[in-house]
Amino acid sequence: MTSKTSFPTGLPRLGAQIAPILIVCAIVFALPLVLNNDFLLNKVARYLVLGILTVSLALSWGFGGILNLGQAMSFGIGSYAMAMALKLKTIPVHTGSGGLPDFMVWNNVARLPWFWQPFKSLSFALAAGIIVPALVAAALGWFIFRSRVTGVYVSIITLATMVVLNLVIIDQQSFTGGFNGITDLAQLEIFGFAFDAYGRATFYLVASCVALSLLVAFAFTRTKAGLVVQAIRDHEGRVRYFGYDVAAYQIFVFALSAAIAGLAGMLYTIVMEFASPTFLGVQLSLSVVVWCAVGGRQSLVGAFLGAVLVAGMQGALSESAAFLETWTLVMGALFVLVVLFLPKGLAGLTKSAWRWIVRRRLASQGIARGVGQTREGSA
Amino acid sequence: MDQFFEQIITGLSIGSILLLVALGLSIIYGSMGIINLAHGEFVMLGAYTAWLFQTYFGLGLLASLVPIFIAVAVIGWIIERLVLSLLHNRPLDTILATWGVGIMLQQGIRLMFGSELRYVQMPPSLSDSVDVFGLSVSSYRMFLFIVAIALFAATWFLMNRTTIGMKLRAIMQDRSVAASFGINSRRVYGLTFGYGAGLAGLAGALVSPLKSVSPDMGTGYVIDAFMVVVLGGVQSLGGTVASAFILGELSGGIAFLQNDTVAKALVLIAIVVLIRFRPEGLFTTRVRA
Repeated sequence: MTSKTSFPTGLPRLGAQIAPILIVCAIVFALPLVLNNDFLLNKVARYLVLGILTVSLALSWGFGGILNLGQAMSFGIGSYAMAMALKLKTIPVHTGSGGLPDFMVWNNVARLPWFWQPFKSLSFALAAGIIVPALVAAALGWFIFRSRVTGVYVSIITLATMVVLNLVIIDQQSFTGGFNGITDLAQLEIFGFAFDAYGRATFYLVASCVALSLLVAFAFTRTKAGLVVQAIRDHEGRVRYFGYDVAAYQIFVFALSAAIAGLAGMLYTIVMEFASPTFLGVQLSLSVVVWCAVGGRQSLVGAFLGAVLVAGMQGALSESAAFLETWTLVMGALFVLVVLFLPKGLAGLTKSAWRWIVRRRLASQGIARGVGQTREGSA
Repeated sequence: MDQFFEQIITGLSIGSILLLVALGLSIIYGSMGIINLAHGEFVMLGAYTAWLFQTYFGLGLLASLVPIFIAVAVIGWIIERLVLSLLHNRPLDTILATWGVGIMLQQGIRLMFGSELRYVQMPPSLSDSVDVFGLSVSSYRMFLFIVAIALFAATWFLMNRTTIGMKLRAIMQDRSVAASFGINSRRVYGLTFGYGAGLAGLAGALVSPLKSVSPDMGTGYVIDAFMVVVLGGVQSLGGTVASAFILGELSGGIAFLQNDTVAKALVLIAIVVLIRFRPEGLFTTRVRA
């Protein structure tokens, strides 16, 4: 009996944890059957991508205890990697073969800068969109975690790093497109398969990445490394005394989270058809934290749904500008209330509500069958 | 040579603004352990209050400094009472709560006054320039430098030579022991946060003649100010002063050779690298945790 109901390490049962993920993925894949409007589908795809970004934050914040206020930096890097590759594809059409991206021509750049060269290869760009954010995060993480910098300092440093990168991108207009970002991109084509931002193929690509990132993140939280990371979140010192290299685990989860955010960034470029400095702006980075907190930072599905629902609601309200302004105010208030009274977000609320219902039901059964039965049922 | 001194003075001027903004932040973080992400919004509130006094009551900047300090301090005190006092044992959550408060303040001001830029007039008595070692320096910038130093001195005095400062230092060392000696920590925390907020408001009012006033003006200041606190080390007022002027000189110097953005990037990289070797900041002696 015990071997089936409880896991030896005290982990919640696999099935109970993975079921919500599978259900959410199934709903996401079924969406095109209901939504028969390409424009709407593109909008939903956008929210799904933001959901992936929020899952990446939940991984480092909810599970690793690392509140990365600059999560949008990895997102932005991924987005620019994709945009650079797709921009280079437009050269033959815009400026003739052997030319330069159009904004470089306007800025009198003579040669393609060295860091643009490798993006001529699409497969390099696809890899770079994931690996570069991870490497940047690992490097930053090395400085932060090897110094045993913790808590609030990490948040400040990540925030500042993102702001500075944002300023650099805006400043270096001739190489990055500056304030306007990189616009007017070609379509992504893989194996002769074109991903139109408004097409079903793109939606299914996004949906697959949603499933992939949720499952990868979930799988990580079940591995030994994932458990150590959660132990570090709960009591860093104790894990260190056990002889674990705390910093190495922190750097790893930090980089993994950045890699997922980079993937989301690449998808965002495909869905939005441009890359912009606002993709690594404070505004977006803040919103991700809010979504994650509202949905539930310690639940991957919760964080994902938090992003999709709140961003979706914001999108629906953004039709009228006056409403949007008030909405931001309401968001701030909502966020403060969630932080004060619902630290585990809506996911935590759902969980306790579910437990309460189960206990009520068991209690009423317990009256009929005796108390021993109840204890076994809830184990 | 003249150019060199000019650069030094530009650096001092940047440094004094940094110090003005960072002082309140450093007090709040050092004594309460709260990273106040709404600090930039307090700066913004101070600037808007200055603009309000000027536009609706015709009050000059110098005359309105004290009311501005009081107004923003009261707002800070209310926020501490309503929100932060509920989060005493959750330091990471105070970041989020203050961030949320910051959004609300920023958006509230935007809804009330619109997002267009506002301008505050420089006090006429300080709009000329003075001669320092043969260089002509704007007297307003001299004034800022003097005020920054004076505020630092006042804060130091408050912390180290008054009863309320002593109570605060006692709470910092051990809250429950302090409480058992009859110190009302809730009251002290409220006052401390209010004082820090008031300082930020003063900073905002004082920089408002130099820069334009807008709802999102605080964001830029707060990140620079955090860098000052990180470099100076927490719980070290002297460190905050030194690092404000070091960062001021560095930013001024690099900005002169390159540009503002490069200066910001290089200063940030320098700080991140430095943290690797001195995680507790440049100017703190090692303390037992």
